[in-house]
Amino acid sequence: MGFLILTILLVLVFAAIPVAAVLGTLSLLLDELFFRGRLTPAIGEFTWEKSKEFILVAVPMFILLGEIMLRAGIAQRMYNAVMQWLSWLPGGLMHANIGSCAIFAASSGSSVATAATVGTVAYPQIERHRYNEPLFLGSLAAGGTLGILIPPSINLIIYGLITDSSVPELYLAGIIPGVILSSLFMAAIIAGCLFRREWGGTTVETTWAARLRSLPDLLPPIMLFAVVVGSIYAGVATPTEAASVGVCFALLLSVWTRTLNLAMLKAAFEGTMRTTAMIMLIVFAAIFLNFVLSFLGVTQALIQWVGELGLTPLETMLLLVVFYLILGMFMETLSMMLTTVPVVFPLVIQLGYDPVWFGIMITVLMEAALITPPIGVNLYVVQGIRLRGGKFNDVAYGALPFVVSMLVMVGLLLAYEDLALYLPTLVYR
Amino acid sequence: MFERIHARLARIAQIAVWIGGAAHLAAAIMVTVDVVLRKIFSITMSGSDEMSGYVFAAGTTWAYSYCVLHRSNIRIDAVYNLLPRRLCGVLDIVGVVLLLLFNAVLTRHAWEAFATSYVRDSVSITTLATPLWIPQLFWVIGLIAFQLTLVFVAVYAMLRYWQRDDAAVNRIVGVPTVAEEVEAETRGMAQEG
Repeated sequence: MGFLILTILLVLVFAAIPVAAVLGTLSLLLDELFFRGRLTPAIGEFTWEKSKEFILVAVPMFILLGEIMLRAGIAQRMYNAVMQWLSWLPGGLMHANIGSCAIFAASSGSSVATAATVGTVAYPQIERHRYNEPLFLGSLAAGGTLGILIPPSINLIIYGLITDSSVPELYLAGIIPGVILSSLFMAAIIAGCLFRREWGGTTVETTWAARLRSLPDLLPPIMLFAVVVGSIYAGVATPTEAASVGVCFALLLSVWTRTLNLAMLKAAFEGTMRTTAMIMLIVFAAIFLNFVLSFLGVTQALIQWVGELGLTPLETMLLLVVFYLILGMFMETLSMMLTTVPVVFPLVIQLGYDPVWFGIMITVLMEAALITPPIGVNLYVVQGIRLRGGKFNDVAYGALPFVVSMLVMVGLLLAYEDLALYLPTLVYR
Repeated sequence: MFERIHARLARIAQIAVWIGGAAHLAAAIMVTVDVVLRKIFSITMSGSDEMSGYVFAAGTTWAYSYCVLHRSNIRIDAVYNLLPRRLCGVLDIVGVVLLLLFNAVLTRHAWEAFATSYVRDSVSITTLATPLWIPQLFWVIGLIAFQLTLVFVAVYAMLRYWQRDDAAVNRIVGVPTVAEEVEAETRGMAQEG
């Protein structure tokens, strides 16, 4: 039954039916078939209750924050500063790409925004320093994915909502894996450039004086991180409050950089509401499907079925990893999470895995989905910033080494659950 | 005639989105003031969390029409891209009709929720004691507007499909090309680099 539902879902989704329509009509149909439509009348009240949920308000706030930051023009200066500090490594500016993405990710909740912002700034450097273009572009696409792992992350809020996990715990859990994954990305660059020295481009000359002078340019994003994430853990603010404070901070920043004007605000509003509506249409439909499924006892049957297979929890988890990697090649990340987690999550808990740990695991798998061809949103974004154009395959090949880094990260998470759980345990448990 | 209505709807949807966005910004400022007052001056105003919840609920439904008119509803096009245009048109129309059916059910019951609050004079169980029908009215208006947009878009697309104008079907309800999608995701950033 669980598999049948999952199969129907995936077939319709792959028939390019809007994901929200698939989830919505399927839940109405299941209700009609099994409960004679007794659950459906609750959908109005139910959706209203979820629509005004304060924790969800964090989603548009983080998107708005990102939209303002994107247009506040702080990325260029930040990139130059990171460049001064990291470009001595083999692979030069590609490390600045990863570093800038990690820092930007710490003030943005979206992978697309991260890749687009850092990518736009970094792109002209390819020609200036004669880098291997595919690898350079790959580092941007991969670095951008850190946006959903390093807090604040929009995907983790939604995961927290559909699984009833604590968002602050999920945020804490993302920090160590985020740092490790950034290091693994850098390791992939170093390995590549030691293998083929010419991939690394020409050296960027810098001095300690220049490095120290560049430090103030790192302040805006770091302060934003401190304000947003710091206030959550200082117990001062909930994630939604922190996001709102972040929006005001970004607004002040745009006043300071003289980028604030009506046209900029209108563009930011359109971007924010478009993304919010896109996401929420699916989220509300998924929550309702979740509600119907909980009455159907689908998960019990699925758990029993998996139990009869006689697999160990680890083997089951490895199967899930493979399933998500394949799915991720073809599906956009949020729909991937929302169509599968309602069915998969109870199974994972039954196997004895921690909900917060699984949140991080699935986020890393979503990051892989962002850069695995043929469908990878970040690959599209990076392709989009290439002013001189070029083959889409360049980006796809260039991103492959970083997929390997992500697989290593998946392995590390499986071997050492504490990489995700150490900080949440320390603070909350 | 259909083109003109489409353009007019897009304009209205755009203004609705600006209002929604501005309301979110206002909510962010309100919540921030609340937090600052509470932590630094120990003054509790409260209510900003509730208000921002209403802004979010209504703002989101107001943006749905914009989403569908800009073909931004999330669809998985891995298989779609391999299919002939004519078949894609069928999937496009089936997709919009399914969305329309789901939203019809949702809107009907959302209207009932609003009507119940209105008739019973329900208020929120908070210090604000907001009469619930007020925010629910804004919320339900967004859903009704979305439903009307979907009906228009479905009829318009079917008409063009029947006239065998596949390019038009794609412009109305199709999946945007990669180039169009990238443009939408990265708009307004060119001046930055």
